[in-house]
Amino acid sequence: MSIPLSYVPLNSSVNPSFWSKLSELKIDVYKSNEIDVVIWGYSRLIENANLPTSLLEVDSTSFNKEFSDQETYIPFYGKFINTNTIEKFKSCDKQLLINNEGMKFVERFKNGDVLKNPSLLNWFILLTFADIKKYHYYYWFAFPVPQSVTIEKVSSCNISEEFSDEMMIDFYNEFKKLNSIQTSYFVTLKINNLVYLSSLYETFSDESVLKDREPYFTFLNLSPSSNVGSQLRTFVAFILHHRPILEGTKAKFLALNLSRDKTNISLKKSTIYTLKLPEVSSIDMSTTWVGWEKNERDNMGPRLANMKNTLDPAVMAEISNDLNLKLMKWNLLPNIDLQKIKATKCLLLGAGTLGCSVARTLLGWGIRNITFVDNAVVSSSNPVRQSLFTFQDALKSKPKAQAAADSLKLICPGVNSNGYQFTIPMPGHPVGESLLMQTMEEIDKLTELIQNNDIIFLLLDSREGRWLPTLIAASKQKMVINAALGFDSYLVMRHGVYEPKIQEPKAMTCPAGFKSVDGRKLGCYFCTDIVAPGNSMKDRPLDQQCTVTRPGVSQIAGALAAELSLSLLMHEEQIAAPAFYVSKQNVNDLEIDKLNPSILGLVPHSIRGFISSYEQFSPATEKFTNCVACSDFVVRQYRDFGKKFLFEVFNNSKHLEEVAKVPKFDDLSESDIYETGVDEEFSDWAIQ
Amino acid sequence: MENSTISIQDFHKYINAFLTISNDLLDEWKLNTIDQNIENNKFLTKKQVVLLRNPADPDLQIIATFEYHLVYNISYAVPVLCFNIWRQDGSRITLEEYWNYNKNLHDYNMHDTLTQMDHPVLNKPIFTLHPCKTYEILKEFLKTSKNPVISWLSVVSQFVHLDLLEEYLKSC
Repeated sequence: MSIPLSYVPLNSSVNPSFWSKLSELKIDVYKSNEIDVVIWGYSRLIENANLPTSLLEVDSTSFNKEFSDQETYIPFYGKFINTNTIEKFKSCDKQLLINNEGMKFVERFKNGDVLKNPSLLNWFILLTFADIKKYHYYYWFAFPVPQSVTIEKVSSCNISEEFSDEMMIDFYNEFKKLNSIQTSYFVTLKINNLVYLSSLYETFSDESVLKDREPYFTFLNLSPSSNVGSQLRTFVAFILHHRPILEGTKAKFLALNLSRDKTNISLKKSTIYTLKLPEVSSIDMSTTWVGWEKNERDNMGPRLANMKNTLDPAVMAEISNDLNLKLMKWNLLPNIDLQKIKATKCLLLGAGTLGCSVARTLLGWGIRNITFVDNAVVSSSNPVRQSLFTFQDALKSKPKAQAAADSLKLICPGVNSNGYQFTIPMPGHPVGESLLMQTMEEIDKLTELIQNNDIIFLLLDSREGRWLPTLIAASKQKMVINAALGFDSYLVMRHGVYEPKIQEPKAMTCPAGFKSVDGRKLGCYFCTDIVAPGNSMKDRPLDQQCTVTRPGVSQIAGALAAELSLSLLMHEEQIAAPAFYVSKQNVNDLEIDKLNPSILGLVPHSIRGFISSYEQFSPATEKFTNCVACSDFVVRQYRDFGKKFLFEVFNNSKHLEEVAKVPKFDDLSESDIYETGVDEEFSDWAIQ
Repeated sequence: MENSTISIQDFHKYINAFLTISNDLLDEWKLNTIDQNIENNKFLTKKQVVLLRNPADPDLQIIATFEYHLVYNISYAVPVLCFNIWRQDGSRITLEEYWNYNKNLHDYNMHDTLTQMDHPVLNKPIFTLHPCKTYEILKEFLKTSKNPVISWLSVVSQFVHLDLLEEYLKSC
């Protein structure tokens, strides 16, 4: 009784280096040509006991002219077709292709090529389309076998039934001497209990070799030992071509499976099959070939390798950046919301030393939406202090906002960065007739940008420039982070949230030595001033125009501004987060947990530092009822009268003091001044 | 501090001995040498295909190709084991995905133990068994083993699916 033999096909496995080499060749060599070339694949000599099938692998060396030999690899001859369009890939007649290639293969064993190089019996077709921009690779492997060759199994037994242990050792020693092109297919003869391995060339070019002998047609089984690899069918076709006399007869085949037995390589898993060969008079032009590989869904169809995460350098960089943040999440801050950070949009008003420093720190935190506004161009003195600019930017006089946005993209291609060049209208800077339309547009643009962003950073080089964004952001209840520099001092603060009617917040219990201010009661940058911002540039010598600072100050302040924004963003109450400050000196044990922190710790209202003494403290100040920027009087006036009100302020800053009902200086008692927190040190602050 | 590090010269000596054994066993470890002008210019690699099963769901399994790198880390002055993993189509398996398939590490602080670092020679990101733990393991072997690199590898390899044949240990 004989039963049809069943086969296990190979399984393809592509090394990522294959795809990167293909992209390289496509760009440099193939260009837009359709490619039809020979490549190499390989399979492994030693069986991997863990795998259900044997693998055919391709990698970057597949494109070499000669097979790059490795002792444990079995060469595979490959026909590689790379179409130039996805349509060609799809419409290509797969049956015609495999038949045509099958015909060429038959030529190779008719003209003697296979006889000299039996490894050609192991062959495959690889059809691809490479979308190199998207890093998408469509591909389909075929391991072709002639459909007409059907084989029946008469019996099978383990190799040990016909080969003694000693003979197997001899066998392996002889096998090791074979050239790699001979290892996959040969003929084994037993002569007086000695093992003799005869190459196909030797066997079929000399009638006497097989005469009166019972040969074992031997093939390296490209399947785990319990099954037979489908390559046997091409081997049988080859044998019948050279020995038609064997058609319909029985013959012995040795399916060689090399496995690791402790440290030795053993043949013990090999199987001897007695097979009934088909009655086909050699395969010819009309033979149908089969063998296209099924895809991962077990369908007859191509596969798609999406290599974007593996090969796109920009995506790889983004993955590495993300990993740093994820490590922070996994190890230290399990509750940090990285998605929220990624989705947060930041508007940086000012692209100078502070803007550059803030932007770089935000990038590190995983912020990926950054917009700059600045009215200036990069000047030759900028690059040494402003970390996003180069000398080249200065030579080209690039607008700072755009140069900073471009620079961010060079640092981190995944960032969505934009730059806008315009001047933020300022109180006390009258708008002439000719600039009216332009100023209107600038107000609209600024309003739109504040509306569309989540965190507004005020990093401008003048006090009055901060007024309009402070007012608009207050009116829109946006998170505002403000940073200002002195020569050797800095102020970093967040603005309190504007609410028309402040609900009395629930009383917070504070540990001894601390006081807290609810986020809805915290002041803004202007709350500590009692004069309206005027033209601070007027009539000042250069060194007092707020532009001279110790170089490290902006880096420190910029970093603090970014960190403060993150702490606030991660606080449960967002911008309404309360601020704590030390009310008594010498509080020793700071128990942060009791102070309603965010997951990143405390969220102070302001941070004031002095480099001359390397001191820093974090006071909190309440809203000033008559603040010229965030008080209810001013915000309501802005909401009611919009641009009309703004233009009045631009033309005359004193108008602000009237709207805000700022008490006359004479009306204030000395204690009032103290209470509002006016600080000589900061009221006339140099700002950058 | 007790000396628990290995010089680069010794590392090269140990990996050469390792390679000789591998060649005898046909174990497929390969020596890679880059620019001769750089001192840290040699490392071993080996590809190994593994059927990864998800411990939580045995039906979830993938054929994964590991490419292991045995490299010297100059800053820590110890050997490190790094690797990349990819699926059959060549796409990379991420660190988080691999953690799902690796129950060996679940008892440890995975994020500290197996992380992504830059390859010490190639300077490209690669999964790495963090070298700060290497001291601990290496310390004992430096006194007792003829090849501390192999001894150390035999301890750590099992955590990341790398099969190391017993034959290597005989040389220690």
